Amino acid sequence: MELANIEKLLEAYFEGNTTLAEEATLRSYFTEASVAPHLKEYVPLFSSLQLAKEEVLNKELVLSEETTKTSRNWWYGIAASAAVVAIIAGFVFTQPNLSQEEQEALTAFNESKKAMLLLSQNFNNGTEQLALVGQFSETTNKILK
Amino acid sequence: MKQTEFIATVLPFKDMLYRLAKRILVSSDEAEDAVQEVYLKLWKGKDKIKKYKSPQAFAVTMTKNYCLDRLKSKQASNLKIVHSNYQANESLERQLEANDGVSIVFKLMESLPAQQKIIMQLRDIEEFEFSEIAKMVDSNETAVRVSLSRARKTIREQLRKQYKYGIS
Repeated sequence: MELANIEKLLEAYFEGNTTLAEEATLRSYFTEASVAPHLKEYVPLFSSLQLAKEEVLNKELVLSEETTKTSRNWWYGIAASAAVVAIIAGFVFTQPNLSQEEQEALTAFNESKKAMLLLSQNFNNGTEQLALVGQFSETTNKILK
Repeated sequence: MKQTEFIATVLPFKDMLYRLAKRILVSSDEAEDAVQEVYLKLWKGKDKIKKYKSPQAFAVTMTKNYCLDRLKSKQASNLKIVHSNYQANESLERQLEANDGVSIVFKLMESLPAQQKIIMQLRDIEEFEFSEIAKMVDSNETAVRVSLSRARKTIREQLRKQYKYGIS
């Protein structure tokens, strides 16, 4: 690579007008051994940019933390559904108790109805007797005629 | 998305994310934690990844934002402690390492404003196109070029100073 071209590229580089390919050219020029003396001051810049590419992450990334979290969520789901089932079951099992009470109320109602009927029957008997009394007065009228 | 598929799409750029995180946060421990955190977030939102045109660009943006937030909260919480005695140590360290051209460039990059630092990292080290960088940092190409030019020039000026100082 001729020197004039490199100088031109350098100028463009600092203006932010170089393409990726041109920047690669600059890096390779400055990381090679023979750099023109008046351009030596740029060597550290390009060699460190080159060097910086090589840094890697040495730590293992953990994704399993998330899976334990999801399984905990799963347990929450189970607990919640169990609670719902228990509540529903409670309702279902208490339902017969309620109807038993209702039955008691029903029998009580029937009892009282019977009692009322008995009362009204007796009352009717009473009015039949009164009819007899009426007949009695009729017959006395016949006799007295 | 299954775990194997997720790993295949997202894991290839873990080193790149780490370098970016380290560029912003400086400390390698902090950078490792940041990458870990970003991957957990990506894993959590793994079904959304497919919707993005470039999962890589998405991951870069996420890492950038996470690191900047981290930096902000750090600065807010221990501003006083850091300032009193840490500064002296660092300048000492800087003088000791002044001979080493490479580490001085890294130090100079550290002192750049965050946005310039990020853009320079993405362009000069990770070699992204301007259009990609613009999307990653939520900006436009012209602004990216301007920031990049400023960052490169700042480093050039500082290097020249150091270089002259070294010779004389």
